[in-house]
Amino acid sequence: MPRRAFNGRHARALVIGLDGVPHTLLQDYVDRGYLPETKRILDCGFALRRMDASIPDVSSTSWTSFMTGVNPGEHGIYGFMELEPGSYEMRFPNSADIMAPTLWEIIGRTSCGKRSTLCDRFGAAVDSPMRSVVLNIPQTYPATAINGVLTAGFVCPDLRKGTYPDSCYDYLMSIGYVPDVDSARAVEDRDGFIEELFMALEKRRKAFEYFFENEEWDLFIGVITETDRLHHFFFDGARDAAHPLHGTFISFYRKIDEIIGKLFNRFMELTRGEGLFLTMSDHGFSVVEQTVNVNAYLSKEGFLKKDVTRRYFDMIDTGTRAFAMDPSRIYINLECRYPRGSVSEADRTAVVEELKERLLSINAPDGTPVIRALYEGSELYSGPHAGDGPDLVALAHEGFDLKAGLQQDRVFSKGVFKGMHTQNDAHCIMSKGLEAGDGLHIEDLAGLILDHLTT
Amino acid sequence: MDHLTALENKSIFIIREAYYRFRNIAVLWSIGKDSTTLLWHCRKAFFGKIPFPVLHIDTGYKFPEIYRYRDRYAKEWGLDLIVARNEEKIRSGMGPDKGSKLECCTELKTNALKAAIARHGFKAILLGIRRDEHGIRAKERVFSPRDGDFKWNYEDQPAELWDNYKSTTHEEDHYRIHPILHMTELDVWNYVKREEIPIIELYSSKEGKRYRSIGCQPCCSPIESRARTVDDIIEELTTTKTSERAGRAQDKEDAYTMQKLRSLGYM
Repeated sequence: MPRRAFNGRHARALVIGLDGVPHTLLQDYVDRGYLPETKRILDCGFALRRMDASIPDVSSTSWTSFMTGVNPGEHGIYGFMELEPGSYEMRFPNSADIMAPTLWEIIGRTSCGKRSTLCDRFGAAVDSPMRSVVLNIPQTYPATAINGVLTAGFVCPDLRKGTYPDSCYDYLMSIGYVPDVDSARAVEDRDGFIEELFMALEKRRKAFEYFFENEEWDLFIGVITETDRLHHFFFDGARDAAHPLHGTFISFYRKIDEIIGKLFNRFMELTRGEGLFLTMSDHGFSVVEQTVNVNAYLSKEGFLKKDVTRRYFDMIDTGTRAFAMDPSRIYINLECRYPRGSVSEADRTAVVEELKERLLSINAPDGTPVIRALYEGSELYSGPHAGDGPDLVALAHEGFDLKAGLQQDRVFSKGVFKGMHTQNDAHCIMSKGLEAGDGLHIEDLAGLILDHLTT
Repeated sequence: MDHLTALENKSIFIIREAYYRFRNIAVLWSIGKDSTTLLWHCRKAFFGKIPFPVLHIDTGYKFPEIYRYRDRYAKEWGLDLIVARNEEKIRSGMGPDKGSKLECCTELKTNALKAAIARHGFKAILLGIRRDEHGIRAKERVFSPRDGDFKWNYEDQPAELWDNYKSTTHEEDHYRIHPILHMTELDVWNYVKREEIPIIELYSSKEGKRYRSIGCQPCCSPIESRARTVDDIIEELTTTKTSERAGRAQDKEDAYTMQKLRSLGYM
């Protein structure tokens, strides 16, 4: 691969992604002395900042916003699932559905005709192709040929198909790399699950260090997803000293701290202190108090009619005016969009207004309001694919976990999950010298990285 | 040497070997594309004049087009045609509605073949079976023994004789020989195109439907298709195979994804 001519600046970038690691928890752990390496980094010119995730804040959308540096109206990923156009049949968008070029495609000159506002800003500044190592970012399956090395993150049904090139796959197999732990066992076999988390983290560390040392790269992105898995099931153990897993939580974070410290040291050595170093997350986490089943509420309020003899979203019956998809995207059942659509374009606005009013009035059994904010798609999304997005997106107050399954009949329920995503508590560790303005958003990071690599 | 010629050569070698070793053999001809391809190989193996009988098992339920085609080419190619029928059962009204389909096939096909083998003393039968047709056929050998009850113990087969180039046999009741075992459905159509083998019109689309395989009329269902020529069929087959494979693989990935999303509470 052509190596960029050395121009006197060590313009490399290292990003360590920590899926679901909240700003508040990280700050808390640093203050309590649990993370000495992170503290050391913060003491030598780095700041731990609060960052906004995408809306909605599911990993597929948020990571895609990170890696493309644009909003879902440009990259086209609104959640883990979509409906096939003109039907209620589910489909699961993958990397081929991302409509904007990623960071590594822009710098590697492998955008294959995809365009975006970010690419317009920086594309011309890439004078010769740069190489990337991209490890375990969600929403990158299947792998395509890039200038560098890539192994896909969640969901990765087939590691071979999710890895480029084959030599990278061969290496990962040789170390027993684990693309994703088995979350289905978290409840029945808690200890086995925790063990698997530590084991998977160790494999990640090994893979990160191997590719860091043995590949030529200008951009290195390694994401740890085990944190998200730990948080979904046991986030109530993060701060509660009485919780049986509190000690495990801290041990897990200490291991991550070691990984961060070691990579940071090597990176600073390699770039003589001038490389761009970031850690970041795609969203935060908080403890779940109540699960709120949005579709159950929509049914109760007469917006959704279901035919339970059919499966999944095909249950949506004639007379439905609105339905929700994970986690809190709401779609108007438009006549022009869906086979059993019952709302005309002319009536759409009225239905949206009625929905807003009803959703904002959801109160928990103890009277606490559930919905913190409601956004119309047009407020959130801009770009060629803005029209494909939801009509409304809801954000809930802390503790209320919005879900959009179709099986639940009760509006409020309690599930096995103890942690839920938060949109406004993602984190970013970045150099204090980086100008990032007042409110940092996950979409901003790609621009900062490209700016560094192309200057 | 190209792929189709290599397959043809292999088939011809097996046919000649079978005739040399067994002498008293027959080739089974169902008038479909596979057995007609096999027949074509037999004609090439013996320079146009097949020295052994061509056996058609007639259940009495075949498409009229099959009888017309059979009679025309039997005459044109100078075939020693034997039509085997289980007359007794046909007269008594045996059919897929009377007994089960299995019973009907057993009486009108298997038993008709058994009787023909017994009457003529055939030591081996050549058949146009392909390995890619059906799961169980994937286990077939080129030289495949059958016992007196026509039973085939696929779990305990002798070693494949073909690749050992030794086709000496024990005293089995008869052997089944599959010279085109290694051809795929697509190979057969490409060969048909190359050789310009006349193929029965049931394979061509009529009113948006055609038969992908032919046999007895009551038990054959057509498929939706606009393919009229051999070229059309080849193109349809290529696209269908690709999308079938892709479709199945996609289903598996979707199922995996749903399970993963469910385990994290997203579904």
